[in-house]
Formats: sequence, structure tokens, C-alpha cells
Amino acid sequence: MAKVQVLNVAVLDNPSPFGNPFQFEITFECMEDLPEDLEWKIIYVGSAESEEYDQVLDSVLVGPVPAGRHMFVFQADAPNTGLIPESDAVGVTVALITCTYRGQEFIRIGYYVNNEYTDPELRENPPLKPDYTQLQRNILASNPRVTRFHINWEGLADKMEDNENVDPSPNIGGMLPPSCITGKMPPLGLMPDNSMDCM
Amino acid sequence: MKLLKPSWVSHNGKPIFSVDIHPDGTKFATGGQGEDSGKVMIWNMAPVLREEDEKNESIPKMLCQMDNHLACVNCVRWSNNGLYLASGGDDKLVMVWRRAAFIGPSTVFGSSSKLANVEQWRCVTILRNHTGDVMDVAWSPHDVWLASCSVDNTIVIWNARKFPEMVTCLRGHTGLVKGLTWDPVGKYIASQADDHSLKVWRTMDWQMEANITKPFNECGGTTHVLRLSWSPDGQYLVSAHAMNNSGPTAQIVERDGWKTNMDFVGHRKAVTVVKFNPKIFKKKQKNGSSPKPSCPYCCCAVGSKDRSLSVWLTSLKRPLVVIHDLFDKSIMDISWTLTGLGIPTERGGEEQHSLQHLREESGHHQHRGSALHHHHRNPEMLKYQQERQNSAQATAGPGSAGPESSAPKLNSVMNGESLEDIRKNLLKKQVETRTADGRRRITPLCIAQLDTGDFSPALFNSVPILPSGCSMSNHLIPQISSDSCPGPASSLGLRPGSDLLLSSAAAGGLKGLEDKDGVKSTLLLTSASKIEPMKALDSRFTERSKATPGITAVITSISGLVPLERPKDGVSVLKDAKAKDDSSSDSEDKMATINKNLSFSKRKPDLLMDGAEVVEKRRKGRPRKDKISAPMAQPFTQVTPPAEREPSRVTAAPAPVAVLRLPTPKTQKSFSLQVSMEPSVFLEVENEVSLVAGSKLSQLRCSRDGRDWNTLLPSSVVTAAGSSDVLAVACEDRMLSVFSSCGRRLLPAIQLGTTVSALHCAAHFVMALTAGAALSVWDVQRQKALVKNESLRNILSGVDITVSQSLLTQQGVPVIGLSNGKSFCFSSSLETWTLIADKGDSLVQCADFRSCLPSHDAPVSSGPLAVMQGRNLNAGRLASRLSSTPHHLQQSMTLAFLENQLAAALTLQSAQEYRYWLLIYARFLVNEGSEFRLRELCKELLGPVHKSAATSWEPTTLGLRKRELLREVLPVIGENLRFQRLFTEYQDQLELLRNK
Repeated sequence: MAKVQVLNVAVLDNPSPFGNPFQFEITFECMEDLPEDLEWKIIYVGSAESEEYDQVLDSVLVGPVPAGRHMFVFQADAPNTGLIPESDAVGVTVALITCTYRGQEFIRIGYYVNNEYTDPELRENPPLKPDYTQLQRNILASNPRVTRFHINWEGLADKMEDNENVDPSPNIGGMLPPSCITGKMPPLGLMPDNSMDCM
Repeated sequence: MKLLKPSWVSHNGKPIFSVDIHPDGTKFATGGQGEDSGKVMIWNMAPVLREEDEKNESIPKMLCQMDNHLACVNCVRWSNNGLYLASGGDDKLVMVWRRAAFIGPSTVFGSSSKLANVEQWRCVTILRNHTGDVMDVAWSPHDVWLASCSVDNTIVIWNARKFPEMVTCLRGHTGLVKGLTWDPVGKYIASQADDHSLKVWRTMDWQMEANITKPFNECGGTTHVLRLSWSPDGQYLVSAHAMNNSGPTAQIVERDGWKTNMDFVGHRKAVTVVKFNPKIFKKKQKNGSSPKPSCPYCCCAVGSKDRSLSVWLTSLKRPLVVIHDLFDKSIMDISWTLTGLGIPTERGGEEQHSLQHLREESGHHQHRGSALHHHHRNPEMLKYQQERQNSAQATAGPGSAGPESSAPKLNSVMNGESLEDIRKNLLKKQVETRTADGRRRITPLCIAQLDTGDFSPALFNSVPILPSGCSMSNHLIPQISSDSCPGPASSLGLRPGSDLLLSSAAAGGLKGLEDKDGVKSTLLLTSASKIEPMKALDSRFTERSKATPGITAVITSISGLVPLERPKDGVSVLKDAKAKDDSSSDSEDKMATINKNLSFSKRKPDLLMDGAEVVEKRRKGRPRKDKISAPMAQPFTQVTPPAEREPSRVTAAPAPVAVLRLPTPKTQKSFSLQVSMEPSVFLEVENEVSLVAGSKLSQLRCSRDGRDWNTLLPSSVVTAAGSSDVLAVACEDRMLSVFSSCGRRLLPAIQLGTTVSALHCAAHFVMALTAGAALSVWDVQRQKALVKNESLRNILSGVDITVSQSLLTQQGVPVIGLSNGKSFCFSSSLETWTLIADKGDSLVQCADFRSCLPSHDAPVSSGPLAVMQGRNLNAGRLASRLSSTPHHLQQSMTLAFLENQLAAALTLQSAQEYRYWLLIYARFLVNEGSEFRLRELCKELLGPVHKSAATSWEPTTLGLRKRELLREVLPVIGENLRFQRLFTEYQDQLELLRNK
């Protein structure tokens, strides 16, 4: 069972100039004391075309996490403009917040980000080389896309056992989707499980 | 008979496998498939039972949902005492749930479901032993054990008193075990499995008692479950899927010798579930029929794969009723309410269940007595929550109307700091460190603790807080929509329309564009050109990317994923398009999902960061304050001094009366006090100023409006008091001296029985409370005793009760406040102690007379009554706003409270307060339309119109002319048209009297 539930993410300082740091105020609830820290990351998708341009803006450890509701602000610097393909600077892209526990990602919160010139003149005739100082970043905070993954919250011992006992549940006659396998990447293409909760 | 299929009971279209009604009948649980996990949901029963509750949006339907099972939940069962819920699922786990303190509604972040949990259920234990899907769970009678069975062919018995201890594992089945039932007296447990057998196990030694195979030999094919059931009288065990002459049956197994001679026949397909009504029924004797002894009978529901349900009585040969085609798929589970009147059944296919009201047949049911544990807490709590939220909304209402003041000023205070404040400074204040390898590490701020212990109704001060600045985000109040939401969402400057558009375009579907064709938006330009990349972006939301390396296993699996990417995209696009509409429309609500209960965290000291400092301060502060206040207040204690106790033990005192002893002030060398402000009178006492002939003299100096006088006393002065008229001093030799304001001795020295404990003067009255707990009041002007050495024993009866306050009113009425919150005054006319205030009085807490307060902020009653009741009254007014008491009850409480106030003001002889409360009382009577009392009141105030010798009517009360009071009351009466007659009647009589 997932020990950590993300209850809310508030996008702070939004919209803001492109060069401002990202700020997310994250509220989460933990079912029981966590012996290890959570690791949070902000990933900026530089180009839709390829993961090559993904930038990890920052990663933080969050802990200690006793059972209860907690909140913190995750601030990370704006993306390195040198790593963004010029053709992708203006327009819609995605920022991701991920959280991992014991090295396993269990939640991914995605936001559409719209980068736009505020100046109508520039908007009409955007310069060939993007002028980042004039760009405004607008995170579509009202529409987070949340994906949850099953992970193994316990130590490694369990994981082996879980992997061994994968039961295809033949009796259910296809009524049930096969269960997600703990601690192992599910075959995404076939898995309705692994879709977004908001879908 | 009524059938109801509440369509709202659904797992979002995913199959439901199990249902169970709570023993108290107020809620029920369902178990089944969730979005990407197993799901347990708890529902409110009221909307099922009553249509008006179903329509009432303020009554929550869903109470809680738990997504913690990793895979489909096959069974949910309430413990007999109703405290626990056990669930078993395909993840091989059994989870036991217990209700926890509510720390504010919560929803699943990012989920389209707007349903917020209104109850908090926490997994208290996870039972791991099964190596395959858990198919059924069952609590033993009295909740001693919990049994679970699994496709691993075993049954595990857990110690329900000491989870997760396992009692035993029953092995013997050679097939998937799919059903369990306990014998109602707890002697046996029976199980049914795919191995064509039904086995009965003894609970004494956990060995097999019987292995019944014959009725199952023919059984072919499988059912998902085989839920069998034991009759409440213990006589019969009825199996699921059995065969008789190649027809599906439910086999009846007799307890006596485990004979299998009878069965329930008729279903066209295998029986999946059998459930006895927990009650035993008795036929009602019909009038005129022969008085033959009626045989008790049981009632049993049988559900089958053929999608039909039959209900049988053990006294009838044919089924009482058969209902076909209830569902699209096989019936998976049946549950009866304990009142025996309804059964929701679950179907395997999709959501929905049906409820049957078996009114006609309910007959006379006998309680089996075993585990009828009703607790009324829950419905009450629900109601309370609703009202709270409604009232919170009402307070937030005016705020959210104006855009500026829209952040609701809820009294969300966390150790003196509101959550809003905390949020503002969270970034600056949060503790960030670097780990040894130079990584950032943030310590999160704990805003609420989860209780892991017992449930406590911590609702009382739970004000939900809305971090995103939105008003109530609860589904209970759905009308609060995005428009009224300030906060980050609206600061985006997106209208809802464009919001929707972007998201649907972003969903990448051409579909999205078709739908929204022609909808204007500034964003359309950019996003339209980006359709292709957006589609690609979409997949980023769901796939773990290389940028989150995680463990090595993940990396390898990602590389293995590449070929699968395309079909996946197709799926997600379809799903996106479908879900977009609702997800975007409620996105505002989603953002506002966190509410918290601060009062809860307030109580817990372990807050991190700045919260902790405050708590620390408080902790230190409190004892210090106590220390300071202790000598000041000098709490009078009821002490038996050791010196006196010793002899009394020896002499065996005639009556075991505890000797009351109040603390006395210590003699000081000198002290001064101001006894009156207007005119200003200062007293100065200096003890042992001079020695004359071997005796010590004390000096009392007084300054009144600049004029001084002084006098000498033969003994040290212990305490002094004064008013504008008189001054009193008590000396060590137990002498009480009274002087006029000019220093003239008014009374000869009064000898007190014991040393003085408290001394008060008011107007021309002097009150002395002695250490022996005797009270005296003298009227100096008339040189008379009003209260004569009256003992406090009657009011100090009780352990640890002490005098915390004493005062004397201007009318010479002594008032004693006790440490238990009660205040008494001694009524010299009644010659008894009368209760005038009780802080623990529930009437005070619940009385609601705000509507009757004088509209202009008239001098709120200030007098002895207000002093003794103190802030308590205000608290009462606040509490009444939150109270969920039904109106008629509250009305009576308020009435009783107001009458208490009147009586107290009367006995305190506090005229102003009497008048104040009288007017409130009259207004309340007028508002609530209580004509009898109103008429009586008027009659009393008017008195007899024609003089007669026999009348005992006093024209004044506390110096107030009653007819003047009536003149004040009448306009109030005139406000209600209903009392027009009363009004004119008394108005005329008053006129008549005036003209006389």
C-alpha cells in the first residue's frame, strides 16, 4: 500500500518571468513513519521531441517523515536556457514533479507550462533566437496530471517474494486487469493500470 | 417489497466484489477494483434508506475510500462490534481498518473524483501469510478471531485481539478456498473450496470435524466465490455451488450429524453466495387463528451466477421471492441489515447494488443477542460535521463575495499562527540542510499528526483550512465553484473556457479540437500549433523518464519499453479525450483539496520548525504562570489541619464531619490598598509601629480625597477592605473593626470565630469569610446582621472543591465562587445557598438567544451575575452557533437558561441585570411564540388593576417598578403580530391605570 499520498501541490509565483525559480508547495500525508527520506525532483521537459532535452532542475531529499500531514516548498532554479532547443523555447511544454522512495518513483505530477512573450509585438513576430528575458512562464496549475506507481515500500526482502508470486488470476475471466507488480516496471503498453488517475 | 439500485454506489464503473453493512446499519462497505489498485469504500446508509436523504446534497453518500490494497479487493467484512473492517484482496493481504480521528476532508490529489473522505479509516494492521489471492474473510462471534481463506488452498485464523498474531493455518483443502462462515456459537468454522468439498473445522483444536463432498461431486466449472452461510440458530449450514441431479443448488447441511438431505433448488446457474439474515423470525399470531405454537424460522438469501436472487424461509418449501436479472453479471455478495429489513447485493459486473425491503415478511424477529452493538456516534458525528461545514460556509460566505476579502478568515490558528501565515513564510522558514554528499535536504513542516491510537472525536474545534485560499472545497458544498476561488488558480488569469480548451487541445486529440471548434482563446494559437508535440508530451506524464533514474531495474525496463510506446500512446489519447471534460471542469476543486484540522495538531506538541518554538514557550510558560497565580489567588482549600486531625482520631469525634478550613492571609509588616475609586480611598496599614506598655500597636491610615485620618489598633492587622462608605479591618486576634469613611468607629469590635479568610465591603455592607468557612454579612447602617455565621459546608461538599472567589454585591448579597465552576449566593430571605452560575452547565453552552439581544449595543449587563458567570456567557453564545442541537431542544434549553438567569439576578438583587435579562427573556418568548409564559409574565408585571386588601402583589421588584417594566416589554410583544391581542389587552390596562 502506498504509504505516501500527495494531497496538494500549489504552484507559487505563477505566472512569472522565465528566469524565476520554480516554486511548488507540496502537501502530503504519510501513513506511518518513514525510515528513509523521500526524494523529490523537478524535471523540465525541454523538448517534446526527445527525452534528451529533459533537465532535472533540482532534487531534494525530504525527511524525516513521521506519520502525518506535512508540507514543504520545493524551489528549483529555472532551466538552463542553453540546453533548450531554440525551436521549443516558446510554446507549451511540461514540468514534472516526481517523488521516489528507496529509489522507486511512486508519483509523478505533470503540469503543462506555457512560455509566451508578454509583449504583443514580440508575440506577433517572435525573434528567431528566443529572448528569454522577455518570456513569461505560465504553469497551468489548475490541471495537474497525476500518475501513481506501485512500488515496494518495504525493504528489499519482500520484493523478491512479491515478484515470485505473480498470479495471473486465471479464474476471473478477464474481468480484472492483471495486477501491477510491485517493485518492477509494468509493461506499459498493456497496462491500463498505469494510466493517470485523472483520466 | 421495494427494490432500489443506488446508482451512486460505484467504484467508477469498476467491478464490486463484496458488500457488507455495518452492524449499526448506518453505513456499509464495498470492496472491489479501483483505478489501479484494489478499493474499499465506505458509504452512508441514510441515502439508501431515505429518498430525501439521497437528494439532500449535504448528506454525504461516500464516507471514505481506501486505495491501499494493491490489487482487487474480494471481500470486506465488519467486525461484530462494528469497530473494525477487514478486507482481503488479490494482493494476498488482509487489511484491518479502524476509524481514526478526522483530520479534515481529503481527496485524492489530481483525481477526477470530487468525493472527499468525510470519515477517516486507517489501516491498523496488515495480515500477511497467504501466498495467493484472499477470497473471503470472516470475523468469529465476539470478534475473537478473524479467518481468511485464499486461493493458496489454506485458511488462516488470526488472533483478532492481538493482530497480526496468527492462531493457526488450516490445511486440507486441495483447491482454491472461496468461502468461510463461522458457526454462530463459535464452535465451528466452515469453508468451501473449488476442490468440491465443504469442510467443517472445530475451533477447539482446529481439526477437521467433517468433510462433505457428496453434493459437490458433480460440480463443474468455477465461480469467483463460494460464500456459504450458517443459519443464526446454528442448525443449518447452507453451501454455495452444489449440484443435485445436474441442477445447481444450495446444499443444506444439518448441524446434527452433518446430514445433507435438503437443498435450495431453482437457480439456473451455480450459486455463488448464500447469506442468512442474522435474525430469527417468529410468525405473528393472526387474530382468530388457532393459537398453535409458532415455530421460529430463519430467512436466507441465495445469489447465483444466473444473476438472480432468491429468498427462502426455513418454514416455507418454496422461495419467498425470486428476483431475476437484477444485475448484468453474477451476484458476488449479499449483506443483510441487522434490523433484517434490507439486503443490498453486489453484482460482479459493475457498480450498483439493490436493496430489498422485506417489510411484509419481517414478522417478529428475535435478537440473537450475540453482537448487537449499536453505536450512535456516527450518524451524530456526520450530522455535526455537516452543520459545522455549513456554518463555516456561512461565515466564509460574505468574505468570498468580495474578491479582496475572499480568503476566508477562518480561525485557522496553529499555535497562534494561521496556516496562511505559515504558508507565506514556509519557504524561508523551512529547515534546509545539506547531506554529507552535498545534497539538499528539507525537513517538511508537520501540519497534522495522524493518530495511531484510539479514536477520539476530535471534531470539536476542527475548522478545515484551505491552503490554496479557496473556500470550502468539500463535496458537501458543491456550489462553491471556481469563480469564488481566489488563490493561485485565478491568478493565472485563465477563464474556465480557455482552461478547458487548452487541456483538451493538449490532450492532443483532434477530437478535442473538433469539440471546441471556434472557441476563442489566446492560448489556442500556441497550443494548436503544438498539437503534435503535445501528444508526445502527454506520454511524459505517465512514464518514468530517464531523468528519474531510480533503481537500475527501472532503467533496464525502460529500454525494454521502447517498442511498446506506440500502442500505449493510442490508449492514453483515447482515455485523455474521454476524461478531459470532467477533469478540467473540476480542476479548481482539485487544487483546493487540502483541509486540515488544526485543533488536532494544536494538541500535539511535536510540531516542527517555528511551531515547535511556540509550543516550547507555552510549555514553559504555563507552570510559571501557575506559580505566579497561586499566591495571588490563594485558592482556599478544604484542609483538615493535622493538629486537629490527630485529636479527633483519638477522641473519635462525634460525627465524622470534615473540618472545613480556608486559607488565611499572612500578616505582613505593612501593606496598602485602594478600596474605592470614586471617591478615591487609600488604606495604609503598618503593623507593630510602636510598643506601648509592652503591647504592640498597629496603625491604620486612610486617605480619602486628600483628607487623611489614622487610628491605632491593639493587634496586627491581617486584612482590610473598604467601600466608599465603610472600612473594615480584621486583626490577628480575630477582631473585626468597622470604621466610617471618616475614621469614626461604627461598630464595636466584632469577635470572629476563627481568623478571617476574606473580607469584603460594599456600600454599607461588610462581609467576613472566616477560616472555619463561616460567612457573615452585616448591614452597618442598620446595625444588623444579614447573614449570621452561615457555614459553607453545604456548598463545599465534594472532594477538592475550594473557594476560588468571593464578593459582596452593593445590595449586600454575598457570592461565593467555587473551584468547580459553580457560584452560589446566600439568599437572606430564603436563608439558603442558591446557585447562580455554573460554568459546566450545558444549558449555558447551548442556549442561543443572540437574536433576542438588544439591537443597540446597550450596556451589556455588568453586575455580580456577569462577574460570576464571566466570559462563560460569551462562550455559550459561540458554542450555540456551532451546536447541532435540534431546534426544539435548543429552544427549550434557551428558555430554561434565560429563566435561570432571571432567577439568579433576582436573588442577587441585581436590578439592572434583572431588567436586562427580563427584556431578553420577553423577546425570546415573543420570537418563539410562547404565549402562555408571556401572558403569565405580563400578568405578574401588571398586578391587580383594582386594589384589594388581600393582594400580596408587590408593585416593585428590586426597586424597579413592575409596571414600568411592563411598559418596556409591551413594545417587544407588539413586534409579533400573533400577540396583537395580548398587546392591546395590556396596553389598555396600563393606560387605564395611568389615568387613575
